Amino acid sequence: MKSLKLIVLPLALAVLTGCAVGNQYDYRAASVSLPLAGSGELGIGVIDNRSYVLDGDKEADFIGLQRGGFNNPFDVTTASGNSLTQDMSESLEVALRNSGYTVTGLQIASADSAAVTAAVTESGMARNIVLTVTDWKTDIYMNMTLQFDLLLEVITKQGDTVASSQMQGEETLSGAGVGASRNSRTASAAFETKIGRLFNDPEIIAALAN
Amino acid sequence: MKRLLNLIQAGLVLALATGCVNTELTSDIDPSADLVGLETFYVAKFGPDERGVEAMIAAELNAMGKTATSGVDPKPTSPVDAVVTYEDRWMWDITMYMLELSIDLRDPETNYKFATGRSYRTSLARKDPEEMVTEVLSEIFGVATEGEEE
Repeated sequence: MKSLKLIVLPLALAVLTGCAVGNQYDYRAASVSLPLAGSGELGIGVIDNRSYVLDGDKEADFIGLQRGGFNNPFDVTTASGNSLTQDMSESLEVALRNSGYTVTGLQIASADSAAVTAAVTESGMARNIVLTVTDWKTDIYMNMTLQFDLLLEVITKQGDTVASSQMQGEETLSGAGVGASRNSRTASAAFETKIGRLFNDPEIIAALAN
Repeated sequence: MKRLLNLIQAGLVLALATGCVNTELTSDIDPSADLVGLETFYVAKFGPDERGVEAMIAAELNAMGKTATSGVDPKPTSPVDAVVTYEDRWMWDITMYMLELSIDLRDPETNYKFATGRSYRTSLARKDPEEMVTEVLSEIFGVATEGEEE
């Protein structure tokens, strides 16, 4: 009887957790292609403004949820172990370099305007790109959904916003399935698309033109 | 007890059978993109593809009245309105079949992806690769056409 319990318990645990535990996605693998080409120096900063991170409910490396067989949620985190915004920043830096710019990362403590102004002033660069992530969370059970709220701004070294582009919403992502690597690719592809669309704004393109 | 076993058995068979029939056909177009105005295309071969899907895509674009060429180089040798990239995935079930095809339209200058389409068909819903190419391109350009009409 005891041996039966030994078999049943791990089985029950496996059914409850399935492939849901310990998933990690890699946003550094995102291959973002921006709708612009230019040159010159740019500062780039990504701010984590997610309420569930700011209030300490989730760690900065939290990306979203993977649900087990009974809809029980498990956290998905970054494959790098770094914060989500750091991974996003790395991906953006690569994209901007590919578009012809010389890029320097900015450390911005919060979305507070004083903190942003202090960071861009310290950078000394005439143009700075600041991406504020107010929401970015995937949730996968039968499908993968993405909640997002992003604000992209081009800010001068005086702290003035000269262009901005924003998007928010919730949508079901096509391409997710069984397996963390596939879901990681789906999530990073969504990031590629969203960032490309944010930059594909006439105001942003004009502000980053030479 | 026998009835319960029959129910479980039927449920398992149903789950296994329906698991083999799964399709998805989706597209995502940048709202600012004018797909109707695109006339010339270059289809860049996807590195791992050894089945000539790039030629199928170019042939279908030509059949749609566009002008398309294909090749192994990532960039076209002459100017085009859009570069087409794609990824195909294949699976084996008695025979090999195309499980998934995604096609992207990109700006030739910046490589910006302004339109994407994807078809996913499991074994019992399988189609010939040419048909999957057709349905993905129809989905991309169909959506664009509907957007134009609104």
